[in-house]
Amino acid sequence: MASVHESLYFNPMMTNGVVHANIFGIKDWVTPYKIAVLALLHEMSTTKPMALLDRRRLNKLILPLQQGPDLTLEQFLKIVEECCLRMVNAVKHRLFLMADGELQDMEHFFTILPNAFSDSEAFKTSVVGLFMRQMLLAYNKLSFSQVYKLYKSLQQYCHRVQPELSALPTEDMELTSNEDPSAEHIDKDELDTASLHQSELRSDESQGPLSQKQAEYFLARQAYLLKNDENKAMSPAKLQDELNNILKFNPDFAEAHYLSYLNSIRVQDIYISTHSLLHYFDRLILSGGEGKSNGDEGYGRSLRYAVLNLATLHCRFGHYQQADLALQEAIRIAQEANDHVCLQHCLSWLYTLEQMKGSDSVVLTEDSVKIAAHFCLPYLASLGIQSLVQQGAKQGMPANKLLDALRGTDIMHWKQSLSELIEISLAQTTSIWRMYGKSTMARQQAQLLLNMNSLEPVNFSVQQNNTEAFAVALCHLAELHAEQGLYAVVSDIMKHLKQQFPPHTQHAKLWMLCDLKIQFEKAMNDGKYHLAEPHVTAISALNSTEGLYRKAQLLKALNQTTEASQILQQLQQQCEKSKDIEMTIRVMLASAELHWDSSGFATALPLLLQALALSRQHNLQSLTSETLLHLAFTQLMLGIPEQALVLVQDVLESVLAHGSLIDKGRALLLAARCQMALAGAAAQEHRLTALEQAVHTLDEAAVYFSQLDCKERMRDIHYLQARLHHTLGNISQRNKCSMLFRLLDQELPSSGMTVVSHL
Amino acid sequence: KNVKLQLISIWSESNYLCFRASELAFSLDPLPLNEIPPAPELTEEDARDLDALCLAKSYFDLKEYDRAAYFLRGCRSQKAYFLYMYSRYLSGEKKKDDETVDSLGPLEKGQVRNEALRELRVELSKKHSAGELDGFALYLYGVVLRKLDLLKEAVEIFVAATHALPLHWGSWLELCNLITNIEMLKSLSLPECWVRDFFMAHMFTELQMIKEALQKYQSLMEAGFAKSTYIISQIAVAYHNIRDIDQALYLFNELREQDPFRIENMDTFSNLLYVRSMKPELSYLAHNLVEIDKYRVETCCVIGNYYSLRSQHEKAALYFQRALKLNPRCLGAWTLMGHEYMEMKNTSAAIQAYRHAIEVNKRDYRAWYGLGQTYEILKMPFYSLYYYRKAHQLRPNDSRMLVALGECYEKLSQQVEAKKCYWRAYSVGDVERMALLKLAKLHEQLNEFDDAAQCYIIYIQDIFSCGEQLEHAEVSTALRYLGQYYFKNKLYDEASLCAQRCCDYNDVSSSSAAHSQLRDANLSPFGKMLILSPKQVM
Repeated sequence: MASVHESLYFNPMMTNGVVHANIFGIKDWVTPYKIAVLALLHEMSTTKPMALLDRRRLNKLILPLQQGPDLTLEQFLKIVEECCLRMVNAVKHRLFLMADGELQDMEHFFTILPNAFSDSEAFKTSVVGLFMRQMLLAYNKLSFSQVYKLYKSLQQYCHRVQPELSALPTEDMELTSNEDPSAEHIDKDELDTASLHQSELRSDESQGPLSQKQAEYFLARQAYLLKNDENKAMSPAKLQDELNNILKFNPDFAEAHYLSYLNSIRVQDIYISTHSLLHYFDRLILSGGEGKSNGDEGYGRSLRYAVLNLATLHCRFGHYQQADLALQEAIRIAQEANDHVCLQHCLSWLYTLEQMKGSDSVVLTEDSVKIAAHFCLPYLASLGIQSLVQQGAKQGMPANKLLDALRGTDIMHWKQSLSELIEISLAQTTSIWRMYGKSTMARQQAQLLLNMNSLEPVNFSVQQNNTEAFAVALCHLAELHAEQGLYAVVSDIMKHLKQQFPPHTQHAKLWMLCDLKIQFEKAMNDGKYHLAEPHVTAISALNSTEGLYRKAQLLKALNQTTEASQILQQLQQQCEKSKDIEMTIRVMLASAELHWDSSGFATALPLLLQALALSRQHNLQSLTSETLLHLAFTQLMLGIPEQALVLVQDVLESVLAHGSLIDKGRALLLAARCQMALAGAAAQEHRLTALEQAVHTLDEAAVYFSQLDCKERMRDIHYLQARLHHTLGNISQRNKCSMLFRLLDQELPSSGMTVVSHL
Repeated sequence: KNVKLQLISIWSESNYLCFRASELAFSLDPLPLNEIPPAPELTEEDARDLDALCLAKSYFDLKEYDRAAYFLRGCRSQKAYFLYMYSRYLSGEKKKDDETVDSLGPLEKGQVRNEALRELRVELSKKHSAGELDGFALYLYGVVLRKLDLLKEAVEIFVAATHALPLHWGSWLELCNLITNIEMLKSLSLPECWVRDFFMAHMFTELQMIKEALQKYQSLMEAGFAKSTYIISQIAVAYHNIRDIDQALYLFNELREQDPFRIENMDTFSNLLYVRSMKPELSYLAHNLVEIDKYRVETCCVIGNYYSLRSQHEKAALYFQRALKLNPRCLGAWTLMGHEYMEMKNTSAAIQAYRHAIEVNKRDYRAWYGLGQTYEILKMPFYSLYYYRKAHQLRPNDSRMLVALGECYEKLSQQVEAKKCYWRAYSVGDVERMALLKLAKLHEQLNEFDDAAQCYIIYIQDIFSCGEQLEHAEVSTALRYLGQYYFKNKLYDEASLCAQRCCDYNDVSSSSAAHSQLRDANLSPFGKMLILSPKQVM
């Protein structure tokens, strides 16, 4: 039952039961603000002698003024004032001439408007010319009452700046004070009515209705920003407000629903995002069906993409089963319609989904690449190749092939200037180099990405976007710097990351995990296990496997061997299932270390050899060197220091080149201990030189450890040094070293572990 | 009687807003002459304003609101003040509607506002804080607040209005539009008055709590409102909502006897006739209504239904469009138009129509269901799941949504979910009696023979117990399966019984199978080894 007060208006734009938002094809219409812009343009073309600088500044202003939302007169005049003082007065004069005069003045303005442009540099097809002609057309189409209304609003527009000019009755004055944007302090007083004021305020202060063109521009701009540089986009709440506003005025404006979908994905609101997405496509189906001559085609097409989008939505929220169902549906419809492009998109999502679920999807991906290449879809093809490279790297494909493939696609990216893919490619190369343990190359690639200028036309020459690629590269950089003990730099990078990717955003998890890992490592190196413990829980929340591994490490350090070994076994099984080679090797190494703790050096050997074979097979250089160090240490413990020394010396080069500070220190320490063990067995005259060599090596190791401020290791070194100096008879040196040792020993809790039993 | 006195007093006080009052008063027994209350005493203020008020009233009736307001400027009485404010409000509304046609551009369309609202609000809020508003003025204040989207404040004011003037149905109605759920309803402190019962019943209907609503109406009928056409119509609508078609039809027929020129609610009546495919009755109703007033939304809807029943869907859509032109916020017409477009296989237009319906009222389950159906027709079962779920959310105890959900799940080969849906549909009382059959078939597919047989048994019992012959009933299928099932389990007597019953149905394909099975069943106890099926003999 319709209430008596509902408006019973007849909508002339409704035909066939469908409300056409835009039956006349007018995308833009005249508003007072537009008149102000026109006045500015008019003045610009009529005042001939103008300073070049002023003219240039004004010219730069024109486009944003035309595209942007309507400004109040104050704002508008201020902007113009910043460019050219003289112009402001002219424009103001002209506007007030119209506003204070009669309707005739406005009509006069529109009649003389085209004259000014006829002989000037504003061509008919230029941006200015088109704008002006559009405005004239829109003005001429206005009906009598509309013209009058426009004039009235122009008067209001002009006089809002100077309310003393208008003879408002007292009641109205009161009203304006109530609506005035400056009355915001009232909100704080009356909390319960805050919403009321807000809603009232916004309708008043907001720059008036957006024209279709302005709304389209606004949506496009925000959508672009959401994709590439979220921080610059409006805050989610504000954007949603704005969208609701647009939708309230024109519910048929489907694009706004899509933006609302993007916006709610941003805040992880599945409810609204699903709703908006479906709403968008419901609306789109319509406009698609009507707009195109081959109506059925456009309509069916949007249906397919609707389902596909739904699949991606579920994918994004991790509902893999739902995503799978939606995807199957999309594939089925696309097949029925013989839409290869859509099918291709589906296929690429299919392998992504498989990957996310953790199953093997190489075959699918390969197919996808082949077909994409066949249908000339470069974007999808190279996306497929990148995904193949990623999988290949994990499965130990030869490095040269992978890098070749990446380079091949890179050439194509540059040709087609697919900047997004270039970024991904660079980030991927960084990751691959990092995985192979080539820190220098990784650092170089990361820098390359970070210093690259954007190719996007909108953000041209802006250096950084905040896409996933950047997050990955920055995280790698942070970890690389942490490895070198440059914690100040790391904290700078983290600060930047936090700023660029606020915690609620999609890629924030990347840096969170990275940050936690770094802090955990640091705490472990410092021997502050109680600090490391909370990090373990935090890491588990972000990545369970990683969390387990860290927990095992912590338990091992705390000498809770049984628990640690249990966890490691569990991890081993997990890794076998997920085929995570890196983790497998690391788990093996950790288990070997556990064997050392129970003096089972011989039992550690097969594990280590297995790890070595795996890491070599997958080209994981840093892990290979680590494994070799472990092997050498085992050999040393088993009493074959010659072999051990040979091994260490083999590895030393690559460790010093690429390894982290702690690895360098450990390698040198191990070398020194091998040297000492050898010296013990050597003849008397060689012995002294050998021992001196060992002292020298220890000194070098001490440099690295002291850089890291790794006190435990420093204590070990001081101990060994003292012993050596004692044997060499350098009493003063010995005393100094033993004093240092004593100081550190008092400071640290006794670990109960003797220096011998760990690497 | 007390009630009647109250009604008469309110009716005489304001003849603009209380047509319900007179309607109810009519339904009560007439009062003897000596008990009719004298006209209320005029206060001095009233007397002074009397002429201005009369003049303004005439202008107001002629829809010259500004003029009415102008002559009421200086009046001090409450009545005149209300009329003054109300004219200003309506003048603003009228101008707003006129503007809409003449707006500067499409995006501005929605931004045309009733400019008077703001001023009215300021003035009314001042008076309100001074406590000078009577019931009518409070009501107006509430309407103004609601129009300004200040819903929370509006609810408060309407509650106050009902306290000040409980007999004014308008404020109750407005309140009803603002209440979204039962918790909110319970949290309001409403005046203790018999109107409250009307309101509660209305509210229960809105919130789809039909049982409670029917109870309320029943008790109101017993309290003496038995002749009220309003209550009868409301009960009929309630029965329509719980799909008790016979009851609803009976009530509507009664209603038409009592009030033959009534147009209100007749669209619901036509829906019922449509569901029952009662062509002659529907045609009679349509002709009758056209004679009364052909430019009413309800009339257009009835005609639309009439054409739809005659499968003239283009014409039907045309009439629904006309209804929408008369009132774009007419929810039912949008949904019905969606159905028509569906019939015409114009899915995109159907989607559009349903979307409009949802825009008007988000809680319209039929539109959500229609959207789901549209997408299902487009072979997108997963996509339609969302819409069916929405519909199910709104009507948790409606088996049709559950069956639709189950079908979608079945198409997506999510048998577990499908089974759950069908079972639930059966347990909430299956209207179309399809859920069990589908469930049985699903079990059959999954080789869960015992469950399937169980379902078939309940299904057959159900069909026979309800007595009436349903068109789509697949009793023969069920019997055949049961026969085979018993046969497999060596329960030959039951098998033969089933097969015999099965032969009663003249479904050819099944009967031949049944015959052979019957033979098997009859013979097998004597020596199964000797018996060969016809095929094997060949």
